[in-house]
Amino acid sequence: MADTTQKPDAISAYYQTRAAHHGVITSDWLAQAQAAVEQPDSSVSGLGPAKSFNVIDEFNGWRKQPDLAEAVAAIRAMAAVIRASEATTMMELEIELKKASDTLKSWDKTSISLTAGCDLFIRYVTRTSALEYEDFNSAKSRLLERAEKFGEISCKARKIIAMLSQDFIFDGCTILVHGLSRVVLEVLKTAAQNNKLFRVLCTEGRPDGTGVLLSNELSKLDIPVKLLLDSAVAYSMDEVDMVFVGADGVVESGGIINMMGTYQIALVAHSMNKPVYVAAESYKFARLYPLDQKDMAPALRPIEFGVKIPAKVEVERSARDYTPPQYLTLLFTDLGVLSPSVVSDELIQLYL
Amino acid sequence: IYTKEFFLERLSYWAFVSAAQTLRPIKPPASHYLVFLFNSVSLSPEYSLSTSSPHRSPPSHSHRCRTCNRWCLSLLTSSGNVRLRDLKLQRDAPWSFLAVGAQLVAANPVELAVGNVVRRVLHIIREEDLSLATAAVAGLDLLDASDDDEDVNGKGIGYPGMSAAVVAAAARSTLRPPSLQTLLEGTPESATVPYTSSSGADSESKTADKSSITRKLKHDVIEGVNQLIHEIAGCHEQIAEQAIEHIHQNEVILTLGSSRTVLEFLCAAKEKKRSFRVFVAEGAPRYQGHLLAKELVARGLQTTVITDSAVFAMISRVNMVIIGAHAVMANGGVIGPVGVNMAALAAKKHAVPFVVLAGSHKLCPLYPHNPEVLLNELRSPSELLDFGEFSDCLDFGTGSGSPLLQVVNPTFDYVPPSLVSLFITDTGGHNPSYMYRLIADYYSADDLVM
Repeated sequence: MADTTQKPDAISAYYQTRAAHHGVITSDWLAQAQAAVEQPDSSVSGLGPAKSFNVIDEFNGWRKQPDLAEAVAAIRAMAAVIRASEATTMMELEIELKKASDTLKSWDKTSISLTAGCDLFIRYVTRTSALEYEDFNSAKSRLLERAEKFGEISCKARKIIAMLSQDFIFDGCTILVHGLSRVVLEVLKTAAQNNKLFRVLCTEGRPDGTGVLLSNELSKLDIPVKLLLDSAVAYSMDEVDMVFVGADGVVESGGIINMMGTYQIALVAHSMNKPVYVAAESYKFARLYPLDQKDMAPALRPIEFGVKIPAKVEVERSARDYTPPQYLTLLFTDLGVLSPSVVSDELIQLYL
Repeated sequence: IYTKEFFLERLSYWAFVSAAQTLRPIKPPASHYLVFLFNSVSLSPEYSLSTSSPHRSPPSHSHRCRTCNRWCLSLLTSSGNVRLRDLKLQRDAPWSFLAVGAQLVAANPVELAVGNVVRRVLHIIREEDLSLATAAVAGLDLLDASDDDEDVNGKGIGYPGMSAAVVAAAARSTLRPPSLQTLLEGTPESATVPYTSSSGADSESKTADKSSITRKLKHDVIEGVNQLIHEIAGCHEQIAEQAIEHIHQNEVILTLGSSRTVLEFLCAAKEKKRSFRVFVAEGAPRYQGHLLAKELVARGLQTTVITDSAVFAMISRVNMVIIGAHAVMANGGVIGPVGVNMAALAAKKHAVPFVVLAGSHKLCPLYPHNPEVLLNELRSPSELLDFGEFSDCLDFGTGSGSPLLQVVNPTFDYVPPSLVSLFITDTGGHNPSYMYRLIADYYSADDLVM
């Protein structure tokens, strides 16, 4: 199998976690499980030698929960850093946080929400400390409180996005969904609760199998679902009224980085004049500007074909692609309904 | 010319103002009366069945906006005893500005300019209130610093350890639309801290301060609204000033229907001694293009009248398409008279620039999710068909009750932003993807849903 020749750290941890959430068993997971069974003692030594607190372990712990967004896990890990820190001034605390955020970012370079969440929190800390708090402890407790609250903000963000997109779903429409985004699921759930009649076409979503999972969730809500092969999208596009996708990250140009296949679907939809709507929370906005598909840090996933592949045959293992802004119609975020050109404005306001 | 519309408008305005002055504060029946008057003025010329004046043009949008503005102004001036909160934001108090504005918008949702003006005034009110609040907090800060006997922690109720600068900064952030910067902050209650602090103390000077703040607020808001009225009245001249940059010598311009903005735009270029030709598509079924052609010829421009169906045939000979808009949506889409979508598609096919002229009061902060249906008005079939000849086809009484012949007469067309090359507003020329910036400047995020 071609998979055995790769190094373990070439696999993107972000997409591994997502696969774990979806319950997909792949060969690398099996290899890890095998290794864990053979050496039960080595799993304890995950902690760093000198420090009793490791931000990466903390982050991994939070990340494993399936309902928690990636950025929320990152900010919770940073909150843990604040709690465990022994700094006495704001400057010291800021430096510790910066170090923790750099560690997290270097540990998983492929996760955009992680980077964005860390940057957002550091930026917030810097701005808060500039507002002349007289007391360090009260400032620290306030930072902790905001960090804990961020989980609620994230849930509220999903609800706001669901509310904003209700107008765009009309009775009798057909929605094409790609990938399993919790935000898009919330949108569809809210529409079903508002007694809107619509049906959903979902793509199979190889290799994660998101199509079957999504159809499980939607059939619980009594929404008519039809599964498509990834290659059947153009075939079915004429009966589709709109395309709904989530995003792993929203980049500065207004384009999105999402599961492999999104670019293809956006191209087909654009050529047939169907609107493509993206549902993404605002903390996924990242300071990236990819110029083409290969311009991002590679995120590789192991792909199973079920049969043995000859050793000389290469496999395209990238887990994500970049959709340029001209193929997107509107973005639904908790900052409101935005057109793709507004994204860079928001980012400039935050970072400059 | 003393037409029916002239008298109706003057009468209704006078009646409203006198009613407002006698009833104070304005009770709910008056607000219904206001809505009725507004409806009658805005809708009656459209539905006039008098055949004597088939070419009567309805009040233009700027006219309607000025009317709406004047009423807002009189509402503010006449409500002498209304408290600060009621003036601003009480949803449940039926005589508040927000409630009346919501009723105006609900009366005719297709007329987006009404909602725009109401939101502009609300934005003005919020801005003035905020600037006064920061001034008041700064004033309090000085007071406390100078007088040691006063309770220094009185202003920090609920927010110990926060300086006045922090409160002002937080209050300012509530005025801006939610952004990434304020994502983690999220404490809107801080905006009310100046009020609680000013009402906390029971000295007489504080209550006198409060009523003077109310008076100052009203004065500032009325000034802001006056400025808005001037802006709306002057938008035609501002747009026409830019004509000389866009229209060049020996060009051929295509336009559709009749718009006062387009007329003044073209005449301004003519006055600067540019010679060009204009093709006017007649704009069936109301044939407003005929009126425009007559006006253009009166000003000395070479004009050609064509049918709407001939637009595609003539587009290859045209250098630029210029139309006026009914409304501009937040994504850069345009609602215009029926037929402009066709002209836009033809222009795109032949790579002809499609320029839209719109005053800033036409900028609507909403995103259209079904504009052809929800933002359209269907008018009477009598404009298309003569009832005399077609009475047997259109009769609802025979057979199963629904006639075989249906007539659809929409008023507006939606042009998606990808077909528009340039917007010319009174602030200058803009890209369709820039509209969100203007909207963020003119409107507050809280007022989007009324």
